[in-house]
Amino acid sequence: MTSGGLAIVPSVKSVLVLAPVGVRAIGLAAMAVILEWARVLALRTPDRQAVTLIAGGLALCLLGVGRRPAELGLETSRMPERLIGGLALAGVLLLPAAVRWGGGPTLAPEFALAAVAVSVGEEIAFRGAMFAALEQAYGPAVAVLGSTAAWTLAHALSHPPEFLPAVAAAGLLLGAWRWAVRDLVGPIVGHVLADLAL
Amino acid sequence: MTRVTRRHAALLALAAIAYAAAAWAVAPGFYDGIAPPAPYRWVSPPPQFRSSNKPPLSGRATVKVNGGRVDPGSVFTQDGQAAISFSAGAFVAPAGGSPVTIEIQPQATFPDPGETHIATNVYCITSTSPIGPGKEALVTLQYSAGLPAPGEVYAYQDGGAWQKIGNTGSAAPFYIAARTSTVGCFAGGYPKNAGQAQGARLGGQSLPIIVALAILVVVLAGIPLAVLRRRGGADGDEG
Repeated sequence: MTSGGLAIVPSVKSVLVLAPVGVRAIGLAAMAVILEWARVLALRTPDRQAVTLIAGGLALCLLGVGRRPAELGLETSRMPERLIGGLALAGVLLLPAAVRWGGGPTLAPEFALAAVAVSVGEEIAFRGAMFAALEQAYGPAVAVLGSTAAWTLAHALSHPPEFLPAVAAAGLLLGAWRWAVRDLVGPIVGHVLADLAL
Repeated sequence: MTRVTRRHAALLALAAIAYAAAAWAVAPGFYDGIAPPAPYRWVSPPPQFRSSNKPPLSGRATVKVNGGRVDPGSVFTQDGQAAISFSAGAFVAPAGGSPVTIEIQPQATFPDPGETHIATNVYCITSTSPIGPGKEALVTLQYSAGLPAPGEVYAYQDGGAWQKIGNTGSAAPFYIAARTSTVGCFAGGYPKNAGQAQGARLGGQSLPIIVALAILVVVLAGIPLAVLRRRGGADGDEG
């Protein structure tokens, strides 16, 4: 590598560590979307799909590293209320499918584990780390709307266009809960249950 | 966790209503795409898929009998493109309690569908014991993301005529499902004169991919530009 090539290192370091909080928040959003797209593209080869999903979920979880649990909404106080809130969110998320349910194939165990990993990873990345960064930089409205926009964009490769409004609305609901209750346990529980059910 | 005020509760309720409205427009509603389909494997691929096509796979499973009832279960083809799911007792229990074997085979030849356009492979499901009187099983078929989506599941038995058996609404994008009271041969399709409308509704994933890539480029280019602009501003202030 030439000295010219090495000259880029301080710039990268600036972006990752020293950049203003707003730039870091946008960078976090970009990384979360790229991780989701990479997972979806990797899944287009039929081998080891469950492993790919689990790895993708864990990679998303890494975006929350370095933040205190309270920043991510992962405090343990009033846990029963958080869990009940999660059940309520799952109920809302599943209601449109439940009233029209015609049955469906059972999720194989390895894909059930993968669904848990992806759900937890997406919540920690989008409603946890990204929400916290956007809120710190621009306030709660941008945190809710920005995390919803990034979450919708992240699903653009895996869903046909007509499904994206429902994905966006789900993101808005989970983001609104994160803002109103300052809690991520509820969205994690709701999201995991919804993914396991569908 | 903070105390939820009336304002918070009202906004949460609004978000829930907005979600219900958006999710009602598509079945099943929110779906996270845990296992997005791999490229569809065609028995007879359309021209645009010929070069990359792989042959579809079959499926076979043996289902036990417990307490005089055939267990519930699902049988899939190895590539996941076709499946049959059933509850306990849906299949008639064989005399002696021997297990029921169910097979799913993609078919290269099938009766002329007439005015129906077949949009998936045709899969024939056979079992060593029939579905019981008044019982049903759910047949789920994947369809290609690159072609117009089928609107209904069609079926025929023993070389007979194709019959529309409906669409229960699928649990996932790119899948269609219907209930059946008999095993036989199944495919997703739509009336030939409805092909244009279907194509306009779902014409593949190229547009969202292009838009998503464009947004990605803007985001990735925007970060260093924002950094440079801020640095430039800071330098200017210092100078």
